[in-house]
Amino acid sequence: MGALYKKLWRTIGKTKGQFIAVAAVVTMGIAVYIGMTTAYFNLNESKDQFYRDHHFADYYFHVVKAPQQVTKQIEALPGVTGVTGRIQKDVTLVNEHNKRATARLTSYTLPMEREINSLQLLTGRFFATEGVAARPGEQHTRTGDTEILVDPQYAAANDLDFNDVVTIVAEGKTVPLTMVGTATGPEFIYLMKDAATLLPDPKSFGIITMSRERAQQLLNLQGQVNQVLVTLAPGTDEEKLAQQVKSILEPYGNLAAYPRKQQLSYAMLEGELDGLKAAARFMPAIFLGIAAAIQFVILGRMVRAQRLQIGVMKAIGYNSRQVILHYTSYSVLVALCGAGLGTLLGLALAAIMSQAYAMFFNLPATIGAVNTEAILYGFLLSLGVSILAGLTACRSITAISPAEAMRPEPPKGGGKTLVENLSWLWHRLDTAWKMSIRSAARNRGRFAITLVGVVFAVGMLVVSLFTIDAVDYMVESHFHQNQRYDYLVRFAAPVKENEILNITRLEGIQRSEPLMEIPAKIKFNGQSEDDAITGMNPQATLKRLFDHRQQPAQVPEEGLLINQRTAKKLGARVGDMVEVETLLGIGPARHSLVKIVGINMQLVGGGSFVSLEQANRMLQERQLASGVMLKVDPAFAARLEEDLEEMTGVSSILSRQKDLDNFNQNMDAMIYSISMLVFFALLLGFAIVYNSAVISFSERQRELASLRVLGFSVKEVSGILLKENLLQSVLGVALGLPFGYLMAKGYMNAVSTDLFTLPVTIYPTTYIYAALGGFFFILVAHLLGVRGVKQLNLVEVLKNKD
Amino acid sequence: MTNNVLMRLNGVTRTYHMGEVTVNALGETSLDIYQGEIVVILGPSGSGKSTLLNIMGGMDLPTAGDVFFDNDNLGLANDNQLTRYRRNEIGFVFQFYNLIPDLTARENVELAADLVDEPLAVTEVLSDVGLADRMDHFPSQMSGGEQQRVSIARAAVKNPRLLLCDEPTGALDYQTGILILALLVKINRARGSTVVIVTHNTPIGDMAHRVIRMRDGLIAEIRENASPLPPERIEW
Repeated sequence: MGALYKKLWRTIGKTKGQFIAVAAVVTMGIAVYIGMTTAYFNLNESKDQFYRDHHFADYYFHVVKAPQQVTKQIEALPGVTGVTGRIQKDVTLVNEHNKRATARLTSYTLPMEREINSLQLLTGRFFATEGVAARPGEQHTRTGDTEILVDPQYAAANDLDFNDVVTIVAEGKTVPLTMVGTATGPEFIYLMKDAATLLPDPKSFGIITMSRERAQQLLNLQGQVNQVLVTLAPGTDEEKLAQQVKSILEPYGNLAAYPRKQQLSYAMLEGELDGLKAAARFMPAIFLGIAAAIQFVILGRMVRAQRLQIGVMKAIGYNSRQVILHYTSYSVLVALCGAGLGTLLGLALAAIMSQAYAMFFNLPATIGAVNTEAILYGFLLSLGVSILAGLTACRSITAISPAEAMRPEPPKGGGKTLVENLSWLWHRLDTAWKMSIRSAARNRGRFAITLVGVVFAVGMLVVSLFTIDAVDYMVESHFHQNQRYDYLVRFAAPVKENEILNITRLEGIQRSEPLMEIPAKIKFNGQSEDDAITGMNPQATLKRLFDHRQQPAQVPEEGLLINQRTAKKLGARVGDMVEVETLLGIGPARHSLVKIVGINMQLVGGGSFVSLEQANRMLQERQLASGVMLKVDPAFAARLEEDLEEMTGVSSILSRQKDLDNFNQNMDAMIYSISMLVFFALLLGFAIVYNSAVISFSERQRELASLRVLGFSVKEVSGILLKENLLQSVLGVALGLPFGYLMAKGYMNAVSTDLFTLPVTIYPTTYIYAALGGFFFILVAHLLGVRGVKQLNLVEVLKNKD
Repeated sequence: MTNNVLMRLNGVTRTYHMGEVTVNALGETSLDIYQGEIVVILGPSGSGKSTLLNIMGGMDLPTAGDVFFDNDNLGLANDNQLTRYRRNEIGFVFQFYNLIPDLTARENVELAADLVDEPLAVTEVLSDVGLADRMDHFPSQMSGGEQQRVSIARAAVKNPRLLLCDEPTGALDYQTGILILALLVKINRARGSTVVIVTHNTPIGDMAHRVIRMRDGLIAEIRENASPLPPERIEW
């Protein structure tokens, strides 16, 4: 078979443009597959291992306060494998220059062996508790200070180091804490304050951990806990058990209870993983599918062009199997090249992705394993797809009889095309257009495949650019439409409305509007959902609400604007009466009946709204406010911020500008992935159009040369090819745009979580850019594909019979 | 020349269906080919001579009738058997050479040599056809005559019992044509291969042991040539 292999090599050499193009598409597909699969696998494994090693809780119960012995009672319930009682509370953290941040103070009992959601020490050492070592055998220096561990992202964002002092405000007193290291836990992997936050912001929110005794002292909760975490035996009926635990905790004021899947970090991480998994399947499928289609076209054309050679080989005595093997080897080589290069690129991609994830997630150790299984599958996948495409394209070889192959192939069937039936249109077309249309109709299969390729490539362009629109839309609606305030100041405890005057009197404040935020349970039809109810004045302008039709909604004087997600879960509609149970943490829980008068829909977070007065009525209070929204004169903003930072009673200051900055910073990473996607899409489109152009050019050399002989200019001849190409392009782009919308929708469905939904918003300019991108790759591919027109040797082409 | 029958065609016909038209390419034909002879089949275009050659070469099957090679009936052979037959017994020479453009002269010959267990030496065969110094040229770098010589070398390298040539001089000038015919005679003499040449060029018949004239898909005449002329003395 030596001579046949040489023939194969030379064929590849001659069609190297096509070979490289299709191998590049396979490379991309395999790179994306291996990169994403490996990243997914590693992230998933690290996460699972972390959850396992640190006894990640199955259920969370928040109470006002309960004696810590209550855990014994819960431990006795059948199905419970572990119980941890702890303190967790958000406290104000005062940084240098008096800047405020929020710290989620979380307590741990040492030693931590059997502790649920136990900590993983990353740097430094465990905090000391008098006389008890964190882990058996560890030595501790005893200091009088309260020692804490800080989450690594907060430490990094705020330049904290070993022995630095961090000040918090607890129970109205400022308390200095000494940082002795960094640590993370399974519930802090994806660190966000709450579901209403867009992105992690380690500068303003962090985790502080200390021993339970210390936390109890600081927060005046001696002998008490405010959270109970449980792990369950496999197969336990979670909901039933949750009910049992809740009834045990009932006397101590149940605030919230939720399973693992509603834990914020867990849910966000799962969402991220689901998106990654969907992309890891979807993207390679597109690339490999298109690569298979291109190979099918290339080989199909090759078999047709070399019909005579195949006839000769058969006449000499080669059998069909040997000849098919010879042609299929072409696609096998494509597969091997693509898989080889793709593996290398994929491993690099996996490393980059893992690094990005490591930056984003608080995981103690991301497994950097090379996923040999993924590599193996990558090879099998690309080989399988290529061989399939090769065999399908070459199946006609069997039917080639050597005697017939010797005779020139009869001209391909004429026959009218569909367009010709529209005689008014047909007669208006010039000859070049007629040729183009007939040729497209004659090569229907190839036309269709190229079309599909263009549709996918343009669709991918739409999807990649759509991400920018989605984010832009989100920023616009969140930061500009919903939040009209410059600052949201929250108080450590609710204050009387007139006390806000301290703030509103400050220089530079243009407008201030009080609000009252109440964590609550909304109950309907025997079901209950946790929600946050915000009370604000119906005339308020600093926060705007929208209903499910994206129409502005107003806070009613009387009645509830219910959170769309809550309403959906409860099955409640406008007009229904729901029961609201307040869970403020101070004072008793209050129950009241409220009528739903409207729906509130927000892209991020959510919450239900009532008038400020009604909020007070729910609490059986008057004129209380938990915070104030401020609109300020930009000239005074910096000064004002400092003044606010110094005020006691202020627990947090939310600055829209800072949120926006934090958000924009995080977008940098997104730009990379979008650029990569755009590049992939362009390459994909280029590869398929280029191949189609090369083939249609080489197939019609004689025809085109004849035209040149007749007196057509080079330009006119390439014009004919361009027209044929335009036919595919215009159609492909036209179909690609709506297809992109569908893909975006599918993608959004795959990644949207309970906390986070984005409407598929695509701006008109995105379609324009995607279309321009489409025409760009089509034009470049076309020009490269038919650059041979100039060199057409008229005499040679007409003399040789291929 | 011995009188052993190498191939026997018995009542062979071949009909093609081209769309709605039925073409009788070959009427009922019976013919014996003897071992070691040179046969020239003469006839105008469409007389059925190429069809006859294709059937003899196992490239086409008869619509009816038997084709015996040795004692095997090719008419009953399946695809695999036909392939084996072409591989081991037949050498083909085409009017338009049909070399693989991506392979050099040597590699084109190797392509055939790779197929059989005991091929002749590739370089030797190429030297025999006078291409010792052109072996590493591609078909596009060679003249028509040179290409046809590669084609003959490719056919001969398998040392086949039957060499089938379809208009081997049809695309060549007179001088080159004579050279090619001389090569075929040389192979016939040296290796004892039976040579069947199909042509519409009547004078070529003078070099054959037997001349078969065809017209309208039927054998019109079979003429024995008592003293075949060496190709060098043929003129057209």
